[in-house]
Amino acid sequence: MKKIKWTLGILALLSAALAIFFILGSEKALLTHPKGMIARSERDLLITNILLMLIVVVPTFIFLFVTLWKSRAKNAKSEDPEQSQGVFRELILWIIPALVIAVMIVITWRATHQLDPYQPIESDVKPLTIQVVALDWKWLFIYPELGIATVNFVQFPARTPVHFALSADDSPMNSFWIPELSGQIYSMTGMVTSIHMMADRAGEYTGRAAEINGEGFADMTFIAKSVSQEDFESWIDQTKRSSLQLSYTAYNELAKRSKKNSIAHYSYVEPDLFDKIVKKYMHHTTIPQ
Amino acid sequence: MKKFIFGKLSLDALPHVWYTVGATVFIAVLGIATAILLTKTRRWGWLWREWLTSTDPKKIGTMYMIFAALMLFRGLVDAGMIWLQQSIAADSQGYLSAGHFQEIFTAHGDIMVFFVTMGFFFGLMNWIVPLQIGARDLAYPFLNSLGFWLTVAGGLLINLFFIIGGHFANTGWLAVVPLSELEFNPGVGVDYLIWSLQLSGLGSLLAGINFIVTIIKKRAPGMTLMKMPLFVWASLCGMVLIVSAFPVLTATTLLLWLDRFFDMHFFTATAGGNQMMYFNFIWMWGHPEVYILVLPAFGMFSEIVATFSRKTIFGYVSMVCAVILITLLSYLVWLHHFFTMGAGADVNAFFGIVTMLIAIPSGVQVFNWILTMYQGKVHFDSPMYWSIGFIVTFTFGGMAGLLLASPPVDFQVHNSLFLIAHFHTMIVGVALFGIFAGVTYWFPKIFGFKLDERLGKRAFWFWLIGFYVSFIPLYLLGFMGATRRLDHYAASTSWQPLFITATLGFCLISCGLLIQVIQIIVSIKERKHHLDTTGDPWNGRTLEWSTSSPPPFYNFAVVPTVTGREEFWNRKKRGYTPPKHYEDILLPHNTGMGIYLSVFAFFLGFALVWHILWMGILGMVGILGCMIRISFNEQMEYVLPAERVAELEAAKGLDHGK
Repeated sequence: MKKIKWTLGILALLSAALAIFFILGSEKALLTHPKGMIARSERDLLITNILLMLIVVVPTFIFLFVTLWKSRAKNAKSEDPEQSQGVFRELILWIIPALVIAVMIVITWRATHQLDPYQPIESDVKPLTIQVVALDWKWLFIYPELGIATVNFVQFPARTPVHFALSADDSPMNSFWIPELSGQIYSMTGMVTSIHMMADRAGEYTGRAAEINGEGFADMTFIAKSVSQEDFESWIDQTKRSSLQLSYTAYNELAKRSKKNSIAHYSYVEPDLFDKIVKKYMHHTTIPQ
Repeated sequence: MKKFIFGKLSLDALPHVWYTVGATVFIAVLGIATAILLTKTRRWGWLWREWLTSTDPKKIGTMYMIFAALMLFRGLVDAGMIWLQQSIAADSQGYLSAGHFQEIFTAHGDIMVFFVTMGFFFGLMNWIVPLQIGARDLAYPFLNSLGFWLTVAGGLLINLFFIIGGHFANTGWLAVVPLSELEFNPGVGVDYLIWSLQLSGLGSLLAGINFIVTIIKKRAPGMTLMKMPLFVWASLCGMVLIVSAFPVLTATTLLLWLDRFFDMHFFTATAGGNQMMYFNFIWMWGHPEVYILVLPAFGMFSEIVATFSRKTIFGYVSMVCAVILITLLSYLVWLHHFFTMGAGADVNAFFGIVTMLIAIPSGVQVFNWILTMYQGKVHFDSPMYWSIGFIVTFTFGGMAGLLLASPPVDFQVHNSLFLIAHFHTMIVGVALFGIFAGVTYWFPKIFGFKLDERLGKRAFWFWLIGFYVSFIPLYLLGFMGATRRLDHYAASTSWQPLFITATLGFCLISCGLLIQVIQIIVSIKERKHHLDTTGDPWNGRTLEWSTSSPPPFYNFAVVPTVTGREEFWNRKKRGYTPPKHYEDILLPHNTGMGIYLSVFAFFLGFALVWHILWMGILGMVGILGCMIRISFNEQMEYVLPAERVAELEAAKGLDHGK
């Protein structure tokens, strides 16, 4: 009976481990299958940290189970075991984890500076700036250099560094996250935060709002599409022909609360719209009607 | 006039949807049934005299436990509803609206943290801390009663929205701004949250002060700080955290309420408010709070591991240093809860590194627990099961925590289900497992009989397996890019099977809890077979086992004199006959003032939620009146004469003789 229990237990553990490996290996595990250099560095850092910790954790677990087996009441030798004490022994126990943590601290300091979201990505290609405004409950993307804008959809060329400048309007705190390309950063009213990312190749990725922001939270997703330079240019031409224009009035209308907005392309956007949105909260200026 | 009498209250506030009507009916049925039972057995007076007005920490501890257990069921129902929704809401809205779903996870978080985990810990500390330090009572018996009843008032207020109001906050358990501001949340839900936390927070603060003074001032002669049991050390550190951190919560939520009531702009996005400041404030309280939830558990495991290994704890001094270090470091890490807010790399790296430092004392503790078992004589009673389950789970949870501590990694897993899995690992695998271990371990001390071991072990397996089946999928979902708090999602994400697995795990956990209920019922019914006549059912090491089970209401007939760290163990080895020379004992009177004051505080909270001026004034005047009345109370204590103690002690001997 006991043997059956052990066998079943080990079988269950093995199949669970298999399932975990299968899931983490599948393309649906976005974090383990990055499509951009920032997300890849973040994943590599994650794996490095796990391996470093395992150096201590694996022996600890082995020691735990061997101890449990050997010190079972049946097996124990002495009736009233004495605890041997020693300052040296206690110190060693502090030094072991301290060594691993010391290595992790050095790595963390370096990686935090290298992967600082404000840090521009070094590349020969000129970076593309996209301004992002989180609204209740949709994402507005403004291309200041191109004079176009989109809702719940953003497109950029692959292998080109993209700089997202993030803010929000009349919306609670939001978090801007495209897991396959980079980690998240908050977008807040009256503030401008920044994040840089670069896609390896053409592809379509899901972006999300990751911080709770009210009723439309779950539907506040967007599509991030990286394409070749030619495709990007033809997409710009196409967008420029769109009949929709983002004037101040149209913007004020768009900023009102709405859920499940469909994708929209604007051929024109007021050039200072992003500045006006940010300053609205700083200098009591308003966006003209 | 109508506004004066009822404030914002109107008929719309009465229950009119299925869950509010259902909960109201449930509460009413439960209340009426209890009332009928009490009337039939003529126990109202008994209940009032023996329990509700009691200042005996053992009884207040038991009431804390019962209250926390009730809240645990409430929080568990929430958890089930959350996972059921997420199991079916792929490409559909499921059975809950977005707003309702958000209210549920908000209530789940607040209830589990403030009322379940903290409630159980206060209960256990009330039971055991005085006994372990050889004290007869806490330093401030009335304050203890008041603290408990304020916590209950807070707990009632957080559940009252079912009956009056119909909506809770939909902001997440910390009421994050600006979502919790009037602009986005004009209803009363956030106010319920604020005032519930104000009341229970005040209760926790009073309890914290009380335990600190008790541990500092009321230790038995000879018990120096470095001779205190580790549970007392851990409790002391936890209480220091409470006293220093909870005022921050009180102030922060008060500022939020000022924003909402007087239209001030501390944390609004507009008019110069600063939303980021709220995140700093709330986490300056919130991170120490996390350690308030786990430190007492560390202490309990230290006691249990030593007892069941029949060995002194390995590295007592290291353990004390580790707990103190964790306490100090916990003040310096709050920003790791929002690396993603966009602070510079230097700031993020600093807070990430300090967070990682916490792993060192935590690791030392794990080593020490294992080394205590090493070459010991380990007895696998159910408290030991929980302890081993804890050591394994805590190590995994700690690894996940270290990953989150690295800012670049945190950018990817923050706000994802990975984070949820991490802190549930800590709160279930550390705090709750600790609570279950502690309750099983100390139950015979308080009630005089053991809990059924067979059922206890079974419950453990259901909890352990259920926990892993629930939360491994959540770690994986985090890697799959699933954010927390989603009321629905696209089926193309392939998240659904994992959510269903998590819900299966929830069913296993529920079975575990059900077995625990059965365990308690069975144990009470068959208590004759599990009686503890020696006062020392586990072959314990610390002072609480030196008195009878259950202890007399004065705890110790003769205050023990302490000469070593494991006083009771030493006595057993040396051979020790307790002196028969008794002295007069000073004991606190029972008092109903804690209840009266909390009732007024409850009305004040209710009035502030609904903007009812007259009721608010009534509450304030009532509280002031009670305080003045108490200050005139000169007879807070009575003397139990030495002869009476001798009689009681002699009778106890006879009882055991039977």
